[in-house]
Amino acid sequence: MQSKSVDPFFRRRPSAELVAILVVCAVVIVVPVLLNNDYLLNKVARYLVLGMLAMSLSLSWGYAGILNLGQAMSFGLGSYAMAMTLKLKTVPVHTGPQGLPDFMVWNNVTQLPWFWWPFQSQAFAIVAGIAIPAAVAAALGWFMFRGRVTGVYVAIITLAAMVVLNLLIVDQQQYTGGFNGITDLAQLELFGIAFDAYGRSTYYLVAICMTAALLGAYAFTRTKAGLIIQAIRDHESRVRYFGYDVGAYQIAAFAFSAAIAGLAGMLYTIVMEFASPTFLGVQLSLSVVVWCAVGGRQSLLGALLGAILVAGVQGALSESAAFLETWTLVMGALFVLIVLFLPKGLAGLVSSLWALIQQRSFRPLRGVQGIGQTESGA
Amino acid sequence: MNPYLQLSNVTVSFNGFLALNDLSLEVCKGELRCLIGPNGAGKTTALDLICGKIKQTAGSIAFDGAVLDGLEEHRIARAGIGRKFQVPSVFRDLTVGDNLRVACAHHPGVFSNLRPGHRQADDEAVERLAELVGLTDQLKKPAAFLSHGQTQWLEIGMLVAQNAALILMDEPTAGMTAQETRKTADLFLRLKGRHTLIVVEHDMGFVKAIGDVISVMHLGRLLAEGPASAIEANPAVRKAYLGSGGITNA
Repeated sequence: MQSKSVDPFFRRRPSAELVAILVVCAVVIVVPVLLNNDYLLNKVARYLVLGMLAMSLSLSWGYAGILNLGQAMSFGLGSYAMAMTLKLKTVPVHTGPQGLPDFMVWNNVTQLPWFWWPFQSQAFAIVAGIAIPAAVAAALGWFMFRGRVTGVYVAIITLAAMVVLNLLIVDQQQYTGGFNGITDLAQLELFGIAFDAYGRSTYYLVAICMTAALLGAYAFTRTKAGLIIQAIRDHESRVRYFGYDVGAYQIAAFAFSAAIAGLAGMLYTIVMEFASPTFLGVQLSLSVVVWCAVGGRQSLLGALLGAILVAGVQGALSESAAFLETWTLVMGALFVLIVLFLPKGLAGLVSSLWALIQQRSFRPLRGVQGIGQTESGA
Repeated sequence: MNPYLQLSNVTVSFNGFLALNDLSLEVCKGELRCLIGPNGAGKTTALDLICGKIKQTAGSIAFDGAVLDGLEEHRIARAGIGRKFQVPSVFRDLTVGDNLRVACAHHPGVFSNLRPGHRQADDEAVERLAELVGLTDQLKKPAAFLSHGQTQWLEIGMLVAQNAALILMDEPTAGMTAQETRKTADLFLRLKGRHTLIVVEHDMGFVKAIGDVISVMHLGRLLAEGPASAIEANPAVRKAYLGSGGITNA
């Protein structure tokens, strides 16, 4: 029998998570004060965007139990939405007649295709960058979850859907820029502020969006719907017998996760100053899974920090001469080790240590009995 | 009086094997019906069928005037049917409190559960339920930490939380000590009247303690129905149980 003296850990855990989130967001906001280097600031902003992407996967994989191997599809859709509207705003030197993008001119396209038209409005593009990935995910989710597709089949379908879209974009070069992506973009201007990729404004835009997305996702996990999706992850069929429409909850979580990924994609275009098919490529998409696993997929903050950490190491390794050829191997080995020894990732390790400290301080004689059980129950 | 739950000539065939063979069963409102029978009689299959886990090959099921045939599980649950499984089925990664919270399914829709604070709205009910099933001290623990008996109690508590009009219990006392079984019997007697219960059980002592009418199943059919004394004296029932040591040891 466990007495109430150990309870504070469990009772405090949600607020401890919130405090951790707020601390990280505060640190992110003060980085530019300490870092007086535009190149590094851009790099940090890039990692924050990737962190957002991993956080969005944590929501669908860690909370709802939906392993979306095509998370980068939503990211790519958001990225292209932003790139299309910025491309149409480039100075006339880079465009053809009537503001036709340069790559269309090279491909003998004479008129702006119909699906480019609405992107002349920047407001439309910003809404679309979130709404389109969410709608695509909802449609895909409708087919999968109404049909009660689960587990590895979800992973295969999401991966395949992303590959199809990727091939489509590469193939339709005259409309999408093909393999080269969409380059030579104008700067985003919002409320009279220009967002230069290497300026502070862009960094703050990323930081604010990341904070909002993180808090939004956290708030979602704290609602009863957030609890129900975790119950679905644990024991899907059991949830049905309480009267919940499991498919509807899965679609909602899947679409919300895609919306955050879409927002991250838009920011990525601003930070990188281009959109490329690699943004919805298999390599990025699988990397996101690794980041999430390393950081702890059942923790939004864990996934976010995991992405920043691993993407940072990835960047350092791929730029160093010694690991130029082998860095993917190093990342693969890291993933295997984490999955084997830390099924809940670094966040799980931190929360186990936290539990240990709590138990020590509340009852000095008690061992770590509870922690082993948590791991085996995962 | 019209039966509350009515199974009319239902047949369930698993690749030619008839798990239920032309079964007809009627249960009245507020009744506590015990369902017994030798292994393989089709008791669990009957419960699976009522809650929508499997679909019948023939026949029809009506509950409270509505036909349940072909409805999805969550629709059947919303119609007022709750199910406790033979292997206790709880959410092992969630805390005991959160398990009970999920079971408080008054508003099953996605959007009504997206409002902030909704999760806390059930706190009072959760405290009361935990007290009812004796898990007050375990509320913040993951359900995976519970003993087998406690897990059974948790699932029973979740069914009370769900507040279904008809509760299907599959071997609720399996793995419980004699004392726990007695407590369970007390709880069921309290639920009787407010809820309609169908209980599949092997423990005859438990069945006699709680049940008014007992239905005996054998080879997918209804073999006999009546009060405990009549069932124990029934020669056909004795014959069906022969080889497994008689009805009291079944």
